Amino acid sequence: MRITLTVNGEQHRLTVEPRRTLADALREDLGLTGTHLGCEHGVCGACTVLVDGEPVRACLMFAVQAEGCAVATVEGLAEPDGTLHPLQEAFSVCHGLQCGACTPGMLMTAAHLLAVEPDPDRERIRAEMAGNICRCTGYVGIVDAVASAAAALAQDERP
Amino acid sequence: MTAADPSTADEHTTAGEHRPATGTPVRRKEDARLLTGRGRFVSDLVLPRMRHVAFVRSPIAHARLDGIEVAEALDVDGVHAVFTGRHPTIAPVSLRAQSALPGYVETDQPPLARGKVRFTGEAVAAVVADDRYRAEDGAEAVIVDYDPLRPTVCAWTDPAEITDPVHDEAPDNLLLSRTFRAGDVEAALAAADVVVARELTTNRHGGNPIECRAGVAHFESADRRLTFWSGTQVPHLVRTQLAELLGLPEGDIRVVAPDVGGGFGVKAVLYPEDVALCLMAIATPDVPLKWVEDRVEHLLAATHARDHRYVLRAGFAADGALLAVTADVWCNTGAYSVYPWTAGIEPLMAGGLLTGPYKLADYECTVRGVATNTSPSGPYRGVARPSTVFAMEALMDSGARALGMDPVALRRRNLILPADIPYRMPSRLVDDSGAYEACLDRAVEVFGLEAWRSEQARRRGAGERPLGIGVGIYNELTGLGRAASAGPRMPFRTGHEACTVRVNPDGAVTVFSGVTSQGQGLETTMAQVVADALGVDYDAVTVRYGDTDSSLWGFGAFSSRQAVIGGGAANLAGAHVREKVLALAGALREVDVADLDLRGGQVHVRGQEKPVISLAEVARVAYLQSDRLPEGFEPGLEGTKFYDPIRGAFAAGAQLAALEVDPTTGEIGVLAWVCVEDAGTIVHPVIVDGQIAGSIAQGIGGAMYEHLVYDDEGNLSTGTLLDYLMPTSGEIPELTIDHVSTPAANPTGVRGVGEGGTLAPNAVVAGAVADALGVEVDDLPVTPARVWELVHGGGAR
Repeated sequence: MRITLTVNGEQHRLTVEPRRTLADALREDLGLTGTHLGCEHGVCGACTVLVDGEPVRACLMFAVQAEGCAVATVEGLAEPDGTLHPLQEAFSVCHGLQCGACTPGMLMTAAHLLAVEPDPDRERIRAEMAGNICRCTGYVGIVDAVASAAAALAQDERP
Repeated sequence: MTAADPSTADEHTTAGEHRPATGTPVRRKEDARLLTGRGRFVSDLVLPRMRHVAFVRSPIAHARLDGIEVAEALDVDGVHAVFTGRHPTIAPVSLRAQSALPGYVETDQPPLARGKVRFTGEAVAAVVADDRYRAEDGAEAVIVDYDPLRPTVCAWTDPAEITDPVHDEAPDNLLLSRTFRAGDVEAALAAADVVVARELTTNRHGGNPIECRAGVAHFESADRRLTFWSGTQVPHLVRTQLAELLGLPEGDIRVVAPDVGGGFGVKAVLYPEDVALCLMAIATPDVPLKWVEDRVEHLLAATHARDHRYVLRAGFAADGALLAVTADVWCNTGAYSVYPWTAGIEPLMAGGLLTGPYKLADYECTVRGVATNTSPSGPYRGVARPSTVFAMEALMDSGARALGMDPVALRRRNLILPADIPYRMPSRLVDDSGAYEACLDRAVEVFGLEAWRSEQARRRGAGERPLGIGVGIYNELTGLGRAASAGPRMPFRTGHEACTVRVNPDGAVTVFSGVTSQGQGLETTMAQVVADALGVDYDAVTVRYGDTDSSLWGFGAFSSRQAVIGGGAANLAGAHVREKVLALAGALREVDVADLDLRGGQVHVRGQEKPVISLAEVARVAYLQSDRLPEGFEPGLEGTKFYDPIRGAFAAGAQLAALEVDPTTGEIGVLAWVCVEDAGTIVHPVIVDGQIAGSIAQGIGGAMYEHLVYDDEGNLSTGTLLDYLMPTSGEIPELTIDHVSTPAANPTGVRGVGEGGTLAPNAVVAGAVADALGVEVDDLPVTPARVWELVHGGGAR
């Protein structure tokens, strides 16, 4: 099937089998391997991307379902000049990543959280990030990073 | 990197400004790519003409293989080949984990099942196709005829009930047994004022890194070279083993472990799937073959761990002195003796480290590795010690109750103290730490033990939700050298690592380290160590690792060894190259070498701020201006050093936690969790705390949530992440991590921190729930259902 979708602002036309997952279309057809697969049954959250602004498990969505949608992946988070997104910066400073396998999904989930809820407390962050499994960090650095990025973003917004 | 430009020399860091990288939370070198989706994982790799592999896995735990029908699979669109264990390339090859341990029964593990299957999930065939979808279509079309045999699932099954042994070579399924003996345990028990007995089981669980296993194998026919990209923790070991198994010269095999998405021991194994993939690549030369495991396969067929039973007795004197321990231990080794670590990996660690941080003279412990029709057990962070710490601390808690002593005071009474060092444990391992009491003291203080005890008493008085306090004290055996080598008398001895430090012609530094990284930040740590040893800025150092073609040698990631041993090699290599730089600089500038110092990439006369020459200029002479090379100097500027700590570095740790129990639901809430470890010298404080936090989280997962459950027929009933519960940010509490620091006797002073955190949570959670409810917790994990049973009495075992 032929589909058209926008990924990180760029429009793509793809021919995919109906059964092809969005994750495989992103990773293999578009070469955007930043989106990782951790379980392929929708639990671990590593493949989380934003589809029309909403977090989605790219392993549970077919590419054809993304027809006409705007998809945001980890590759689109940083500025075109390479400046890291405040979340990426905070994840590095707070050691919110170790192996990096869960990180793209964590970043996209956190990006959505801060988009809809700019000032979550630690308990909210823990609850909202609980759909993404990290096996390395014990979550301490991740919660620190999201809280720190929220503060940095609030600082940026200030007139 | 500015050191390449000698014109900037004068602006460069002055003596006062230059700070060592060690001890500083420098930005991780890994982060730039991992945060932006530009990591280089095996699963990301694409090569021309690459095809994809899906394995057909046994749905039955134990059966004779009567036949495999592949014709239909070969008819599937896009399928190119189907391999079985009978394929002429695969049939002669077996993985055979070897050990010289007396009585160890060696058994074969075929790359693809041969003759019979021994566990649910064992690979019986492999389909090669244009893409993964078609490979899975093909796998579904393979028809396998199984003739079921009676499976054994439990390692402490009465041997009389075994009708169909897992391996013919071991009719009682016993692959290994060893008794550790010190002193006269029965006499010591007879002399004891109090003898306590416990029977404990620990739950099978596993590492479950977020990136499952993955490999790409490419055999180039023209020069008969094999390249194997693998998410492995041990690339050099894999190369050696593949050379033996495939009959290729070791120099014609290149193993590359690029970015690896977590390992935790699970990826320190050479798996039959890895070997099958390489053999298939040899059979289909010039076509790269890629296999990326999915989570269901991982839960079924990657190594498991910690399925143990402990039958224990301990004798105490009236003053609390621990006099004797006896232990009978069964470890479920699963269907195969894990390659190359053997079925001994868990039982021998259990018997060797059971007594942990406690002084003991009279000890008798029999450990067994028992084969069953379950996925093989292998190395998993902490190897056996999360179970043995639970066992030992359970004895301590029982002893304290029997003696009416404070449980912390009883432990303190028996700890190995600095004055006892070096302390010869009853298993004859030599403990060089002695920092247990320092860790315990600090943990008690940071935790606020007295305040929690008061709160506990208050709640008891008020009839509020019960609160319990759990304690776990442990020794983490890290950085094992040749004298205490990891593994049971295997054909290789895992004491050393190599590191090459190369100053490039532009003055920048490239390090070729034998270490590997699966998230531990070793790219950063090695750069810090070399920067300081050599005398350059952290940013001037680039680290390459995980590629057997570029790094000389490394055993890899296991036993919390890399910061100790790889760091030692990096330090020695950096210092060696520093000497070369200073010698050349001294000759070029006609200054006595003894007066020279290299810091921040600039050579100074000691005490003078203005440099005499830059490292970049020295490097330019060494590579590009041989006309300026003084007499007696060879061109080039690099050096390689090995390091072996000979013994190792014990790392002490103590964890304390306060848990509350909801008697109605059985739910456990963590109110406070404190960990104090002795990491020795800390190279990167944030990475070290990250290792500790992550390992505690895995320990909590094992203590409370994670359980790989087989039914009696050997079916894994927790085969997805909906059934196998890994803790999330909703479950793992805020963790308080603190340190004491006694630098170890190695070049950098570090002690390993990779595993320590996992060792205590079983003991802490079980101890706290027992303390809260006034019961004994004998079986893990401590789930709400188990707590409810303990509260309500019925069904508790």
